[in-house]
Amino acid sequence: MGAIHSLARRTLFARRARTILTILGIGLGIGVLVAAVVTNASLDAAAASTVRERLGNADVRISALEERGLSPASVAAAAAAPGVAIAAPQLEARTYPRLSATGGGAALPDPVTVIGVDPVVDPKVHARPLSAGSGLPADRADVALVSEALARDDGLVVGETITLEGAADAKPAVLTVTGIVAATGGPDPAGRNVVVPLATAQALFQPGDAGGRVSRVDVVAADGADPSAVEEALVAALALEPYSLTTPAEAEADLVASTSGLRGIIALVVVVVLFGAAFLVFNTLAMSVAERVREVGLLRAAGMTRRQVRLLVLFQAVHLGVGGAIVGLVLGIGLATGVTVLLGGAVPAAAGSPVLPPLEIALALLVGLAVTAAAALEPAFLAASIPPVEALRLQADLAGGRPVRLRWLLAVLVLVGAVGLLLIPVPATAAGYLAPLAVYGILVVAALAIPFVLGPLGRLAGLLVAPFLPLEERLTRGALVRDRSRAALTVGALVVAVAMISALGGVAASTRAAADAWLTEVVPGNEVLVAVHPVALDDPVLDELRAVDGVARVSPIGRFAIAAGGYRLDTVAISGADFAADGRLRFVAGDPATALAALDAGGAAILSRGRADALGLDLGGTLTATAAEGPVDLAVAGIVDRSVPGESGEAVLVGWPDASRLGALGADLFAVRYAAGAEATARPALDDVAVLYALQPADLGDIRGAVGTSLERMFDLLDMLAVVALLVAALGIANTLTMNVLERVREIGVLRAAGLTRRQVWRMVVVEATILALVGAAVGAVAGVAAAGTMVAAGGGTAPSFDPGWLTLGMAVAGSVALATLAAVYPARVAGRIEIVRAVSYE
Amino acid sequence: MPAILEARDLVKRYRLGAGDVEALRGVSLSVERGEFVAFMGPSGSGKSTLLHLLGGLDRPTSGEVILDGAAISSLSDDAATRLRREQTGFVFQFFNLVPLLSVRENVALPFMIAGQDPNRGEAAERIGDAIAAVDLAGKERNRPDQLSAGEQQRVAIARALVHRPALVLADEPTGNLDFTTGTDVLESLWRSCTQRGQTIVLVTHDAKAAAYADRVFFLRDGLVRDEIVLGRRDEHGAAPLIARLAQLGL
Repeated sequence: MGAIHSLARRTLFARRARTILTILGIGLGIGVLVAAVVTNASLDAAAASTVRERLGNADVRISALEERGLSPASVAAAAAAPGVAIAAPQLEARTYPRLSATGGGAALPDPVTVIGVDPVVDPKVHARPLSAGSGLPADRADVALVSEALARDDGLVVGETITLEGAADAKPAVLTVTGIVAATGGPDPAGRNVVVPLATAQALFQPGDAGGRVSRVDVVAADGADPSAVEEALVAALALEPYSLTTPAEAEADLVASTSGLRGIIALVVVVVLFGAAFLVFNTLAMSVAERVREVGLLRAAGMTRRQVRLLVLFQAVHLGVGGAIVGLVLGIGLATGVTVLLGGAVPAAAGSPVLPPLEIALALLVGLAVTAAAALEPAFLAASIPPVEALRLQADLAGGRPVRLRWLLAVLVLVGAVGLLLIPVPATAAGYLAPLAVYGILVVAALAIPFVLGPLGRLAGLLVAPFLPLEERLTRGALVRDRSRAALTVGALVVAVAMISALGGVAASTRAAADAWLTEVVPGNEVLVAVHPVALDDPVLDELRAVDGVARVSPIGRFAIAAGGYRLDTVAISGADFAADGRLRFVAGDPATALAALDAGGAAILSRGRADALGLDLGGTLTATAAEGPVDLAVAGIVDRSVPGESGEAVLVGWPDASRLGALGADLFAVRYAAGAEATARPALDDVAVLYALQPADLGDIRGAVGTSLERMFDLLDMLAVVALLVAALGIANTLTMNVLERVREIGVLRAAGLTRRQVWRMVVVEATILALVGAAVGAVAGVAAAGTMVAAGGGTAPSFDPGWLTLGMAVAGSVALATLAAVYPARVAGRIEIVRAVSYE
Repeated sequence: MPAILEARDLVKRYRLGAGDVEALRGVSLSVERGEFVAFMGPSGSGKSTLLHLLGGLDRPTSGEVILDGAAISSLSDDAATRLRREQTGFVFQFFNLVPLLSVRENVALPFMIAGQDPNRGEAAERIGDAIAAVDLAGKERNRPDQLSAGEQQRVAIARALVHRPALVLADEPTGNLDFTTGTDVLESLWRSCTQRGQTIVLVTHDAKAAAYADRVFFLRDGLVRDEIVLGRRDEHGAAPLIARLAQLGL
């Protein structure tokens, strides 16, 4: 055993460059797997920590569905429910810390999120660790805690004051900062949170009649009380307004679910990279066997058993695997750190530092070793099956034939597919597996199709090269079909990598197209003014905005939620007349004019096609919403191709008369349409008025840009992973070409003897790589477009029309061809340096 | 006749482990245009090394090879390759055909490498002639693995002769062939020498093959030990050469 082990090790040392390339390939595969595991763990940890910070030690959170919130009676009912020990109310609102604007186009400051809490009860539920100062005193209303991010951004220290703007008819509040909150998990997307006494928040945001309401109540069950019994008691006690109950586990599951798409794609990338790494291992070991066929024959003749020969190859695989695991571990942790940093900016639930779960990392390393071993099995059996007499003859046929290789390929596909399934987040229903399986299926079919299309496509690709390098193309054509299976396996790795990048590009482009379509087809204006908190429709700002010269129309839009049929539905209030005048919305059922007029009349709703299908409603059907003042029936007056996107799916469109019945407090944004040709002059004047009323102007181009930037960040991250797949594929190409060169030593020697220059030999190998890459890139691009179409279709069908992302597609094709050509440099050098005399004497 | 090939004090050393091995230890000779010469000698005598140096496949440690007036051993790799492409043709013991090219393509290789269209003009004509000359007409589309060993070697000869090089170098061309097939190969080389005036340099162990030569150089331990002049003869019996070798105690 020791001798075999030593022989295996020495064989790898004898081919250092190839061994390093292979270890690097395996390392990349394992690295991406480790990165995926670490990223998943970090996402889980970030979700858990976010929930802990938001819910504290509450057992249940009661959230108001209506924008106006829960009444004091509801809060009291919750506190009095059996089994409830603590009921901590909170009011959450967005506002500006201070308005420095005095007109003249001054910019609005960055907004903050205000959380009003009961200073006595809140500390029993939420820890709110402080990095400076002290908590909210129970006896003062003019105090605040600020988050570290806000203190840093605005240069606040304990003892200073912060001025918060409130509702239109409320006075700004001047509050003394008593402490800086160290935690980062507040609700503000930029971490700019302010915690104030509840009464102060209510005075700021609910002046007049609406006072005393809260956004939510965090409930702690009494010692020994069964949380589910407490939930039931709360359901029985709360009957005044629509609400939802969330447990910490549910909140965490929601946050985790919000990253499931990302995890799914990461899993797919992992599968692709492992796939490529498996090709690499297979090729390396097969090469080693092919090179040493005579040596194996001698060893067999000298008495080495088949089992010992198998062990020899498997020991090599173990060495490669262990080397790859070490590289992969380092690479994976580095990659995961990069991923976590990038994710922090793209996925709200993912902020945080990377978490290294030892068990999962160990499992990832084991999976990497298992894939390496699986890839080594075929060469090991091939080596063992060499009859000594055959091996000692010249040029023993080791090709093994296509069926064997394809069987091996299928086995590896199944193994890496299983790894992918373990990594993909468990979907709500079995149907959720359909999309990833369909995408994987497309990749598998593309990889398996290669042996059959390589010949004809290679000839086609050769036609591009032949006019410039006819001799090299002719010599390459032969090499491509020399070992169709091996070339196919190599091209297969490139195919899946290119497919992955193309698919991600397609999904990104389609998502962006959907966002663009929403802006151009739904928003009735050239500009949007965003309110930090709802603006009542009778607020004078509306008239002031409409009075600006050159403004044709200002249309209020309010976003809120309703409860209907046991579901929380995102809802948007619009002015039907404005939408009709602007020709917005593409109706697929119902008359646009009638439907939009019905919204303004009240008692009607317009649904998106997807939402109508999900609710099983047709034109004329009735959607009954639960409101504080009783059920509200909304007749489906129209069905549109696309409505406004909400937090979870497309929003239900209602008119303003119904919005107030359903608890909406006012408009969250205003769409402004300028008169033809007046935008250039009217816009500055309108923006001045907007800023005075704390409305943030946003050009549609800016919004489009913001959406695009956010998407790009996310897809940059995924592209980074997909590029790793491409690198592994390039290593595979380098490996295969080197093997081709080594098998053709004598042939290359003859060509050199016959007058082929080193440069021509070099070009021959590079042309071979280019043709392989062209075939792989073409098949990969087609598979990628198909995979992107599948992913977009599975994503809910909000995309207007599928956009394959031509730019990414082109870049993936060009990049892969360039990378493969670059990968050919080493084997080409090897080929160019072949000594003619040795080559022609080579047996 | 003027010399087409000259070796001047050729030395070739190889590194072997810690020390050096001298394969050639100062060989000088000259071959005239249109001459048929053979190198004989025991294994390890340096005859194949000498052939490789003369053909520009390898470089001497010291000394010079002059091919058609040019010092091929001092040229750059590209220049030596071009000279080799234009002036020489090689025949090897192990046939050394390109397995993925057809018979015709293998024969056409020198034209393809030189960037000439093998399907047009004089090139096409010469390829056809070369294939016919080695009796392989009708097998142009076959691949090497569809041919017998003798046929493969005839393809290699056709490839070496097709572009009418001034010098043909053959390293044990009959070493892997039976007597009849070997004789056919030697006849092909002989015809190219006598009918086309090509110079043939043959390395062989076999006195019957060497008997085709005008002169036979006998090498041992990296040196030319003897030179046997047989002269141009139509009859190639090996008896006079064997008798001469015996006289010399070789």
